[in-house]
Amino acid sequence: MSTITKETDLKVHEDGELVEGNPTFASVTADISRAPEAGTPKLWFVAFGAALSLMGLGLTLIGYLFWEGTGIWGIQNPAGWGWAIINFVWWVGIGHAGTLISAILFLFRQRWRTAINRFAEAMTIFAVICALVFPGIHVGRVWVAYFMFPLPNQMGMWPNFRSPLLWDVFAVGTYFTVSLLFWYVGLIPDLATFRDRAKTKIKKAALAVFSLGWRGGNRQWQHYERAYLILAGLSTPLVLSVHSVVSFDFAVSLIPGWHTTIFPPYFVAGAIFSGFAMVMTLALIARKIYGLEHIITMRHLENMNKIMLLTGMMVGYAYSCEFFVAWYSGNLYEKAIFINRAIGPYAWAYWTMIFCNVVVPQIFWSRKMRRNIPVMFVASILINVGMWFERFVIVITSLSQDFLPSSWDYFSPTFFDVGIYLGTFGIFFTFFLLFLRFLPMVAIAEIKGVLPQADPHYYEHNGHH
Amino acid sequence: MADQEKKVLGILAEFANPAELVKAAKEVRDHGYEKFDCHSPFPIHGMDEAMGLRQSPLGFIVFFMGFLGLLGGIALTYYVAVIAYPLVISGKPFFSFQAFVPVYFELTVLLSAFGAVFGMFHLNKMPQLFHNLFYSDKFAKATDDGFFVSLEGEDPKFDAAKAKKLFESLGASSIELIEGE
Amino acid sequence: MNSSSLAEQFKLPESLKPGKIALIVGGAGLLLSAVGFFVDAKQFYHSYLAAFVFWTTIALGGLFFTMLHHLTGATWSVVLRRFSEAIMVILPVLAILFLPIIPGMHDLYHWTHEEAVAADHILQQKEPYLNIPFFLIRAVFYFGVWFLLARTLKKYSTQQDNAPEPSLTDKMRRFSAPGMLLFAVTLTYAAFDWLMSLNPHWYSTIFGVYIFSGSLLSVLAFILLAALYLRGKDVLQSVITLEHYHDLGKLLFGFTVFWAYIAFSQYMLIWYGNIPEETEFFLQRWEGSWKYVSMVIVFFHFALPFLILVTRAAKRNLALMKVMGFWFLIIHYVDIHWIVMPTLHTEGFSLSWIDFTTLIGIGGLFVWYFWKQFAQQATVPINDPKLQSSIQFTNA
Repeated sequence: MSTITKETDLKVHEDGELVEGNPTFASVTADISRAPEAGTPKLWFVAFGAALSLMGLGLTLIGYLFWEGTGIWGIQNPAGWGWAIINFVWWVGIGHAGTLISAILFLFRQRWRTAINRFAEAMTIFAVICALVFPGIHVGRVWVAYFMFPLPNQMGMWPNFRSPLLWDVFAVGTYFTVSLLFWYVGLIPDLATFRDRAKTKIKKAALAVFSLGWRGGNRQWQHYERAYLILAGLSTPLVLSVHSVVSFDFAVSLIPGWHTTIFPPYFVAGAIFSGFAMVMTLALIARKIYGLEHIITMRHLENMNKIMLLTGMMVGYAYSCEFFVAWYSGNLYEKAIFINRAIGPYAWAYWTMIFCNVVVPQIFWSRKMRRNIPVMFVASILINVGMWFERFVIVITSLSQDFLPSSWDYFSPTFFDVGIYLGTFGIFFTFFLLFLRFLPMVAIAEIKGVLPQADPHYYEHNGHH
Repeated sequence: MADQEKKVLGILAEFANPAELVKAAKEVRDHGYEKFDCHSPFPIHGMDEAMGLRQSPLGFIVFFMGFLGLLGGIALTYYVAVIAYPLVISGKPFFSFQAFVPVYFELTVLLSAFGAVFGMFHLNKMPQLFHNLFYSDKFAKATDDGFFVSLEGEDPKFDAAKAKKLFESLGASSIELIEGE
Repeated sequence: MNSSSLAEQFKLPESLKPGKIALIVGGAGLLLSAVGFFVDAKQFYHSYLAAFVFWTTIALGGLFFTMLHHLTGATWSVVLRRFSEAIMVILPVLAILFLPIIPGMHDLYHWTHEEAVAADHILQQKEPYLNIPFFLIRAVFYFGVWFLLARTLKKYSTQQDNAPEPSLTDKMRRFSAPGMLLFAVTLTYAAFDWLMSLNPHWYSTIFGVYIFSGSLLSVLAFILLAALYLRGKDVLQSVITLEHYHDLGKLLFGFTVFWAYIAFSQYMLIWYGNIPEETEFFLQRWEGSWKYVSMVIVFFHFALPFLILVTRAAKRNLALMKVMGFWFLIIHYVDIHWIVMPTLHTEGFSLSWIDFTTLIGIGGLFVWYFWKQFAQQATVPINDPKLQSSIQFTNA
């Protein structure tokens, strides 16, 4: 083979740099450590204060909800599920991009993921926390929320394992735990870097504890890399399963518009779609504020836009497939619900969804638009709006107009629906700002690993520098 | 050696770049040392072969844990749905495994992930908050941009002078004796 | 080194004529199938449909693999690109092989019976979609789209062999993006038309994705076997290395899980909902000996290959991988058989000799045309900018 490799004169096709400029290992450490070490900027306090107040609002309203009961929400007959489930599905969905980036792109050797994975994983964890608020509070009698778990009790009562809501407990619980472990494992080498840079004794001691005594020896790296690979391999089917199980909440029932077999993959695609949009929104802000333009490069942004285009098309495929099969099924109720979605009282929500999720991403066919920051910023926000409306359309249209026209009603949210939803944004951003302030927002060790000089073969061809 | 209170616990040599480190690792292994390690801020390709490490047994731990999770899931759902609280739901059998598959899957994944993370901690002897290498001043660079070979004093063939000579011949940019109590 | 001598170097050796026997076997198979037509026309049409869909899904998988390769800009699969390209260009040939299905529509599809439609108000509702002229127009459309996609990608690829133009790589990538969209729509509706409408009351929105997952698995198996065949003849031995087989193994492993996920989603939702018009499909496949076929699919399409392929050592064992290649092709056929045949043999599983002759007949032509296309060009895309890295690729 060697004769052929020498004889062929092939140009290497460059896609753009993974890290721009000519960084050294030390400069990568310095760049990423700068923000957490530099002290707290004023703007951070402003943002943190805002997030904290929003969280306070949410928690206050949740407290009132506990006192008063779920009657303060807009739910009524026949729409017994309202914003709580919509927000739950929306937040869980947002989390999915983090796992996709950290696990699936890792398995597919998409090395550009290193710039954004840490942050996307953090987003996953905080989004899942926000999501978990809703099943926790929607049960009404929160003090018996432990009924959701299979715990032995004096009543001899056990949860119903045939209920998709119980599967949710297992799926989302596992997802949260595994995401947290995955994130933490990824953080260990970077925490060790921070430990070795720490100036004060207390900080050093704390970081020494959290980095578990990491020494960066290859005997450690060996098992570490294996564990990381296995976690990526486990997270990939896990992330598919989580939103599939969430989709089962709807699809195992017989409600028209819910009971359809495409739901599992369709929900997963939608989750990744909205998650990438959220990563995009946050990444654009963080890279601007912290000056990480050379680490989160245009190439990363463009790739994310391509994935949004792809998953947007998948979601569009599912919408059209559902619509066609509703007609094809010959089932009166299926047909009616889809016609109702398009031209009924919630048509405004339906077309908002179509516009944001199917029409807006089409702009990314153009390379110029894929590389235009204001465009992608607006698009990413619109996509998240669209994905919220997708869940709204699914939950509300199917419930408020089911089999019996005499019980149809129009759903309107109350102040408490909106307030608690906003409150979860407060929770999310509070955690996220803490993360940006204190932890390495980009995976230091991984970025070093993708630099050209990280490969031992680099030195054979280029000589020493 | 000179100082009564301080003992030589090992030796640490720094190398210029990953390629040098891989080369050094091969030599150190070929000289018959066993208790040595190569430290770098990121994992280096080909280092496992250079150091002569066997494949990590983590996969077996994970497989075992995953199997345990699956069995646990089956046992739990069978106990709950058939023995402890049998209920006829939509006319289906008590043990409707189809509906339990999501639970089996999640428990398998959960326990596998525990196996991967805690198995890795076990194999790496983590948490180990103190290690002799932390006596070194230079070693902090190993998490930044330093590439080190460390040789522990407990190695049966350890001899500080010989090791120093070896590292010098390999072109180490600095060599440090690790001394401590 | 210029292109023409490189092309020479990577030419399939003249001595290798793997397609010839396939053509003879295929011809013989089709002749015997023709005999089968006179013996039992209804059986013939069902067997033919199953065989035709089986090979078409492989060809469609080839199209998908090629476009996915371009879209992701993958490195490792460059050396396998010629295989998937030679597979996708079989689609136009399959268009010709579609023709025998047309006279068989009456035997295959219940909705073509006017008296049945007149007595069934659901079928009446479906008539705007399920009628013979529209069915044929759609088939022409599907094959037209596939022809266009396969030919265009092949054309660019050939151009690149003659002139080392990296811009052609971008061209193929740009073409593949809308191509993927067309692919998804046509595959879905082809699956609805040819398979789902065998039972015109039954519907499942995931059905297109289900067929897609099987098609991807089978094309991976086909590429694996073709490459291993050449390896046995000392061709491309140092180009398609153990690392590439390892990657194919990983994809086979991953997509057998994906297939299981899709299959289980479809099954579980229908089982749970328990609506007659949906459950009918699975109920029929639990009838009599079909039950055992259903179980075979669960174990041989998912459980066993999952356990076998889970380790790294297995994916790097070429003898085992060869077995798995045949395994996945066979089980994909069983899957298609299990979808098609219960409408004919409602009482239970029943294998006919015509099943074999049609399968081998179309398969022989498929394999023959594959090698014919494969031999036309260099065995690897010699001017692909990533060829070098692909050959040197290793699994970290």
